[in-house]
Amino acid sequence: MNETATALASLLVVIWPSLLAGIMVFKAARTAVLFLAPWAALPALFLAVFVTPGIALPLPWLLLGSELGLVNHSDRLFLLFVALLWWLSGMYARVYLAHPLGRPRFFVYFLLSMTGNLGLILAQDLLSFYLFFTLMSFSSYGLVVHERSIEALRAGRIYIILMVLGEIALFAAMVLAASAAGSTGFDTVRHGLAQAATRDLILLLAFAGFGIKAGVLGLHVWLPLAHPVAPTPASAVLSGAMIKAGLLGWLRLLPLGTVALQQWGEAFMIAGLAAAFYGAGVGGTQKDPKTLLAYSSISQMGILTMAVGLGLAAPEAYPAILAVITLYALHHGLCKGALFLGVGVLGACSGVQRRWVWCTLWLPALAIAGAPLTSGMVVKGLLKAQLVNVPGPWVSAVHTLLPWTALATTLLVGRLLFLLYPAQPEDSGRLLPAGLLWPWALLVAASAVLPWWFAPHAPSLWSRAAVLGSLWPVLLGCGLTLAAVFRGVYRARQSGAMPSGAAQLPARDRMPRIPPGDVLVLVSRCIIPVFAHGRHLAGERLPQWRDAWLAALRRLWDAVDWWRSMGRIESRLTHWLSALVILVLLGLVMAVLGGNG
Amino acid sequence: MNGNAWVPLLMIASSLLPGLIIFGLTDERAQLRIVLNLSGALVKFALVGWMLWGVYNGHHYEVRLALLPELELVLLADALSLLYVVLSAILWLLTTVYAVGHLDDSPHRSRFLGFFSLCITTTVGVAMSGNLITFLLFYELLTLATYPLVVHHGTDVARRAGRSYLAYTLFGGALLLLGTVWLYTVTGTLEFTPKGFLYGLGDEQRPALKMIFVMLIAGLGVKAALVPLHGWLPQAMVAPAPVSALLHAVAVVKAGAFGIVRVVYDVYGAEFAAGLGVTAPLAWLAAITIIYGSLRALFQDNLKRRLAFSTVSQVSYIVLGVAIAGPVATIGGVVHVVHQGFMKITLFFCAGNLVDTLGIHKVSEMGGVGRRMPWTMAAFTVGAFGMIGAPPLAGFITKWYLGLGALEAGQGWVIFVLTGSSMLNAAYFLPVLHAAWFGEPPDVWPKERDFGRKETMWALLLPPLITAAMALGAGLLASMPFSPLGWAKLIATREFY
Repeated sequence: MNETATALASLLVVIWPSLLAGIMVFKAARTAVLFLAPWAALPALFLAVFVTPGIALPLPWLLLGSELGLVNHSDRLFLLFVALLWWLSGMYARVYLAHPLGRPRFFVYFLLSMTGNLGLILAQDLLSFYLFFTLMSFSSYGLVVHERSIEALRAGRIYIILMVLGEIALFAAMVLAASAAGSTGFDTVRHGLAQAATRDLILLLAFAGFGIKAGVLGLHVWLPLAHPVAPTPASAVLSGAMIKAGLLGWLRLLPLGTVALQQWGEAFMIAGLAAAFYGAGVGGTQKDPKTLLAYSSISQMGILTMAVGLGLAAPEAYPAILAVITLYALHHGLCKGALFLGVGVLGACSGVQRRWVWCTLWLPALAIAGAPLTSGMVVKGLLKAQLVNVPGPWVSAVHTLLPWTALATTLLVGRLLFLLYPAQPEDSGRLLPAGLLWPWALLVAASAVLPWWFAPHAPSLWSRAAVLGSLWPVLLGCGLTLAAVFRGVYRARQSGAMPSGAAQLPARDRMPRIPPGDVLVLVSRCIIPVFAHGRHLAGERLPQWRDAWLAALRRLWDAVDWWRSMGRIESRLTHWLSALVILVLLGLVMAVLGGNG
Repeated sequence: MNGNAWVPLLMIASSLLPGLIIFGLTDERAQLRIVLNLSGALVKFALVGWMLWGVYNGHHYEVRLALLPELELVLLADALSLLYVVLSAILWLLTTVYAVGHLDDSPHRSRFLGFFSLCITTTVGVAMSGNLITFLLFYELLTLATYPLVVHHGTDVARRAGRSYLAYTLFGGALLLLGTVWLYTVTGTLEFTPKGFLYGLGDEQRPALKMIFVMLIAGLGVKAALVPLHGWLPQAMVAPAPVSALLHAVAVVKAGAFGIVRVVYDVYGAEFAAGLGVTAPLAWLAAITIIYGSLRALFQDNLKRRLAFSTVSQVSYIVLGVAIAGPVATIGGVVHVVHQGFMKITLFFCAGNLVDTLGIHKVSEMGGVGRRMPWTMAAFTVGAFGMIGAPPLAGFITKWYLGLGALEAGQGWVIFVLTGSSMLNAAYFLPVLHAAWFGEPPDVWPKERDFGRKETMWALLLPPLITAAMALGAGLLASMPFSPLGWAKLIATREFY
């Protein structure tokens, strides 16, 4: 294939979905656009599958001069799984959204978010990346609040506040980086950043700005609120694809592979490990499967954050670490997408079909947990192999803690499967629409196959120690989950309650209750009064002060009786003595001025 | 007088003559009025194109008429004046179309359109002034030409706003006059010169020059709505929609900001002014204005009032860019003359459409309006995101250059102002957008007019769509030749290198 054609294809990746979103305005074209919408991801998929990386399309007319391109294998994999998720979620959404009125609206935001998500993978410079990132962040607000319920609107509000904060942090980071590097191309910026005087500030801003999207601990609060309230196909792309934009931002902007940043590496690793455990822990207390999945995303992104930290600390090993990060992102994106869509599929069917769907869900669930023979085992094994690059004091800590994240994740997905367990196999006669089933089935298949396809050939993965190492956390987790379930059933029998279905199992309620958004609840309790006070200050007190000040001035003005005092001065002036004094004074002034001149 | 000298005079005449004729027409002669106005606007548009092409090819357009002994009325077209002239010509054409739709059946249409033409005439005069005295002349005429437009409705509120407007601007004009005269006694010349004409003066003049700077900026700051001289602007939003649109985007506010640009660059010279130590306080004043305007905008329920406070904030980006006094920041400040014009006129057109079509004045009435008027609200969305500074819109380019320029000049604190302003802009624009696109429409709109299948009249809908497209294009295609950014870079080059 010649170069021009591939370059144009990469332009089509972003133009095609945004064009479709624009055409949606015309009512007459809506049916056709709705039919075409999911296929808008096709150019990207085509590019990822058939084109060898190494293409670049300079767009000197765009913004301040931009470049799109597909530089390396890692970008290609990102594009592949992101495009696949968008395509399948789009197909799924066409059937899932029952209300025909909301459908055009949903797909406008869906297509715009898709444009942003696909475009930012191709963007090779700060400004076009920021453009697509912003487009994605703001358009996906429409996906979050699609249902218009009170929860959706609240989640949307928190989502948009954090997105604006993130955008602003990123703007500052990018201006500082561009100023330090003297260019906006990512390659130059990464190298310029290594020597920049403002490096730490830029890194901090980038950590926070992209961290909001990636769900870094402390900035994650929007995620368990927004991901579940969106319609299921939107949750799938939010949690599977769009969340990776934060990760990709780090990979693009941070000076990975150029200079060793020991302390930053450690900071990323600690934040990542903390999020991995925190997400799994708080997620385990949730009752809504989609909220639980959102917390699982926080936990998994924590592991990816840790991997980025590895890359920061060990620049010479970065190429290998990048390969692992990419594969991990692909694995998690596809599995999480399959799980989210699966939750929706499960809700739409009944009877035996439901059983089958539930059993199939074990596949991506076990993969996320990292069970042997799943893609999870591969990526975790590869990640563990990279741990040798971790500098001194952290080797043992991370080595010890990593398997425990697998245990935590196993408990989490165990609870997920428990929550989803189809207790009553009654057949309501509802049949699953094929339009929901096949995108999901294809995604499950892709999540099982693709990570293997792209995994490097590493015999060490198959050593007995490796298999055992991946086995024990999962087995232990399964054991603990089963124990918890049986204990619940046993207690329920003892107390005389009929265990007539998972919905009544008391184990569900015995969990400590942590509201979705966890620390947000505490934080907002502090912030809201402060905000209200600020609002009061700016909205009411500020004008009051101004008015008081003006009134004081006016009083001062009114206090003087100008007419009377003017009259008095005038009458004084009529006296010949004052005229004499004035004349003498004037003469003196003139003499002084003249003397100077 | 060579052939090129006629062009600036024709520029003035192209709106002055139609204006004068329109004054003589009765209100019923709508057809003739439209023809006169549109032909004037089109002639001006063509002339601007002619000059742009000419200046690009190295031609020089200048006319000098004797005004007072040793003082001449100078009209010329340099890079900076063209930037402003092009903006006014384009936006005048669009606003004329809009005004035709807007004024369909209101009284005193001839008076309105007559003063409207005078207003743009004086704006072009302000833009093309070649020295401070010419500038002052047109600047004062602008005040007089806009007053009847502000009080057009004749209500008590409008009259009060008009009084306040006059009090502020006449006071500002007096200060400007005083400063100009003082400057003339010190230097003996008032000709705008790139890099200023003051660098030859001795050290003993520095205190006087500082005082003059303060007076000039205070005089211009009234129209540019610098805090605390901005009080008239939010009141003046009682004017009819086309007036507000023009007032906030081109004519009055921009004339003040443009004057500040001229004073800093072509009277004092950016480097000389920085050496004098007067730009740093100006930068702080601009920063305070940016934040204060946004803070006040947060709490306005009246949409036009919210937009007015947003203007207070946004126009000071121009002043900030100028006051940072570095080449890159200059690009950001100067280009915002055009960018702010495109974005703000879009927002005011849209606000006017809401009033004219549905009777909506308040943000709290805007629920679900996006479904009823999708095109208008799409244009509004573009304008709002531009104000927030989201890429790829024009406002982003401004903020990017201001940020880079501030860092280049070693003034990192400006980043806080820019990000804080973005945050506040988001805080007062996003709720509007949320209400419009995600809110539930009411059963009946306050005062709906039916336009059949269209959401509103073409004359009302096309102008905001075009200006929104320009706000988008100015950002997305910023690197193209003849983009506002390209032109601003040319101006910065002439000032600094």
